[in-house]
Amino acid sequence: MPRFDEYTGEHLIPPYRVLDLTDRRAAFCGRLLADYGADVVKVEPPSGDPSRGLGPYPGDVADAERSLDFLFYNTNKRSITLDLETEAGRGVFRRLAADADVIIESYDRHFLGDRGIGYDDLRGDNPGLVMASVTPFGSTGEWADYSGDDLVVMAASGYMQITGEPDEPPVRQGNEHSHYPGAQYAAVGILAALYYRDFADGGVGQHIDVSSQEALITYYTDAHPALLWRKLGQNVTRVGTNSTLVIPLGAYPCKDGWIAAGVITPREWDALAEWIHEVTGNDEVLNEAYRGGNQDRAEHIDIITALFLEFAENFTVQEMFHEGQRRNLVFLPVNEVADLLADPQLAESGFWYDIEHEEGSIGTIKYPLGIFHSEEVSARRRPAPALGADNMAVYQGELGMTADELATLRGDGII
Amino acid sequence: MTSANIEAPAALAGIRVVEFGPYVALPLTGRILGSLGAEVIKVETNKVLDEMSFIPAWSRGAGQPEYQRGKRRITLDVRTEAGRDLMLEMVRISDVFMTNFRRNVLDRWRIDFPEIRKQRPDAIIMWQTGLGGHGPYYTYKSFGILVQHLSGVSLMTGLPDEPPGVVNTSYSDYHTGVFQPAGIIAALMRRNLTGKTATLESSIFKSGVATGGPALLDYQVNGRDPQRRGNRDEWAAPHNVYPCAGEDRYIAIAVSDDEQWVRLRKAMGDPEWAVAAEYETRLGRRRNEDALDAGIAEWSRQHDPQALMEKLQAAGVPAGMVSQGRDLNENAHLKSREFYQDTQYWEAERGVKATEWTEGESVSWSIPAKMSETPIPFGKYSNIGEDNAYVFGQLLGMPDGEIERLEEAGVIY
Repeated sequence: MPRFDEYTGEHLIPPYRVLDLTDRRAAFCGRLLADYGADVVKVEPPSGDPSRGLGPYPGDVADAERSLDFLFYNTNKRSITLDLETEAGRGVFRRLAADADVIIESYDRHFLGDRGIGYDDLRGDNPGLVMASVTPFGSTGEWADYSGDDLVVMAASGYMQITGEPDEPPVRQGNEHSHYPGAQYAAVGILAALYYRDFADGGVGQHIDVSSQEALITYYTDAHPALLWRKLGQNVTRVGTNSTLVIPLGAYPCKDGWIAAGVITPREWDALAEWIHEVTGNDEVLNEAYRGGNQDRAEHIDIITALFLEFAENFTVQEMFHEGQRRNLVFLPVNEVADLLADPQLAESGFWYDIEHEEGSIGTIKYPLGIFHSEEVSARRRPAPALGADNMAVYQGELGMTADELATLRGDGII
Repeated sequence: MTSANIEAPAALAGIRVVEFGPYVALPLTGRILGSLGAEVIKVETNKVLDEMSFIPAWSRGAGQPEYQRGKRRITLDVRTEAGRDLMLEMVRISDVFMTNFRRNVLDRWRIDFPEIRKQRPDAIIMWQTGLGGHGPYYTYKSFGILVQHLSGVSLMTGLPDEPPGVVNTSYSDYHTGVFQPAGIIAALMRRNLTGKTATLESSIFKSGVATGGPALLDYQVNGRDPQRRGNRDEWAAPHNVYPCAGEDRYIAIAVSDDEQWVRLRKAMGDPEWAVAAEYETRLGRRRNEDALDAGIAEWSRQHDPQALMEKLQAAGVPAGMVSQGRDLNENAHLKSREFYQDTQYWEAERGVKATEWTEGESVSWSIPAKMSETPIPFGKYSNIGEDNAYVFGQLLGMPDGEIERLEEAGVIY
């Protein structure tokens, strides 16, 4: 059992030491661990993580310390700089790795091994090391050396095949969705590996290989793409904003935005028809032919959609949302970011954490850290680190370097 | 590095989990925990089948192995007094209780969280909710595909002035399903180290918003709504999907620097239009993106998507075919990683006891994390109620006759 003298359980995850060598395609893994209590140290090249060079920036003024992309994916981490392209830098890295519980990385699969700092090189000095590699196509197989960003992974996983309108090309989900599944599975694997190492008899460290392509395939399991092909010889397709089979199902315009509505059971249809009739007085909606469940209304899609649109234009989004729910119907607002920040449910359930940024231009803003609501544990709330902010603390304070040694490495551009 | 040491016990060996609830996210959590070696006891009843056996309608349970492999599946009607007692007995021998039933339902069944705590003071409780278990929306209903609208993602997808962009799946159910095992394992570590227990409430809504990305900060700092850019990217060009030979076939190409552009140009055979000076720099390619995309599309549409992907990747150009089900099913790369594996299933039939359903052939993915020391088995696929004898007999020590009596009484059913 590990000794964490300071750990009293305020945060969910004990303060395991994690070295984070990921880029933005897997940075969410370290962030998840850091939010919940792990001591995650981002190891950046002296020029900084490449995402520091990506916007958006406050006021659109480029500044490596204020990339909102970097700030989002690296909350609650610490930062040290280290040049892994030099032998001296790699020597320092080996010392860090000898003491680490976890390393997470997203380099091309041979990058670390070619430099003598892959898992097989590091485990000798640290048999308890847990190391996770998150790559677009995994560490083995025909496509293991293929490269790709969000767009490529979304395509190759087939996730794009079912995103967008049926008569238009596939479209990517705009939140760079592929950055999350692989990172989340890696976090699960890392925690399970630590559990095994620390709480099982004879537990040791291990390597975890995560393919972002595979992870994203599991994120649309209910479409069952491979199974549909085997069973019916068909491919999954895009259905667009509105279903053509279940009516109404989708997003519909109302006074000040869009309402998402899903009416499936016969009882839900009857409740909706009654409400539409109350509002529009149009008797057509009570037509017996439209009653029934699930896909029974498909042949009447045009008339029912017209009836629904005529009805929806009488309401604001919030009116439809709350009145629909009061009538036991699945009506949900189509939110913009502004709506989320003002949403009373998120506010009251401890979802947003105010984080204060030292540098003036950002101030205090809200981060989404509260995925688990709990009376017993809370998330941490440190902003993403400035480049190399923890060099002194880590290299001198923890690794025991002398001031001279650190100064030399700095002078050589290694730190 | 990737062959698990078959001598090693599974990572979560010795942990027992009670899974109580249907649909997508909760069963996914159970499948992951089961694959990592926890003993997951899934409590169901023949009287109320999980609707996912009929969604999509053609599947008739063929899709269930992807959610339910690697679990012990028992039938129990917890609405009966004897059923409720057995549920609580199981809680007493389990480390984790996880459910997605609403609070009023759990209260009605008297399987509420204070009762769970009373039976097993150190149980880790995971309570999965839709919009939240507290707060103004706690009674509100939601489901899968519509949460992408609620969580802000559909208005980040597609192009400005288009309707909200939709993916045809139960969007953030999957985020929740994979957040939860992380929370549970961490809570078990915390329990082992501090003796403290935890109740964690998750929500499908929050899971979707938590993965909204830097756009959540951009609005606060710059007052800017998310830019809907379709498949394009501010920092790269070309960056789009392009038509290929065949019906509804596309390839994604994402060129992030000038070197990759030269490689793509060469792969295209250096056509006259592409060697023009305006395409030499990223900024130039961004400025002339419509013409750039049209030029690439004219070339790509002559090629098979997979052959083109492999050609471009070999040339050092990030590219990915937009895979369809057939591609995934037959893909050599996924086969060599044993991602999809054959599985049996039982064809779901309403009104018929599951153990009397017909067996058939299906396919399921395996967990997308390969661990070098501890096994992540594909797992056994139990039918609903198949493990009644193991759980009630072996674990709870109930005599055979008693199990039969309770089956006939509709309690273990």
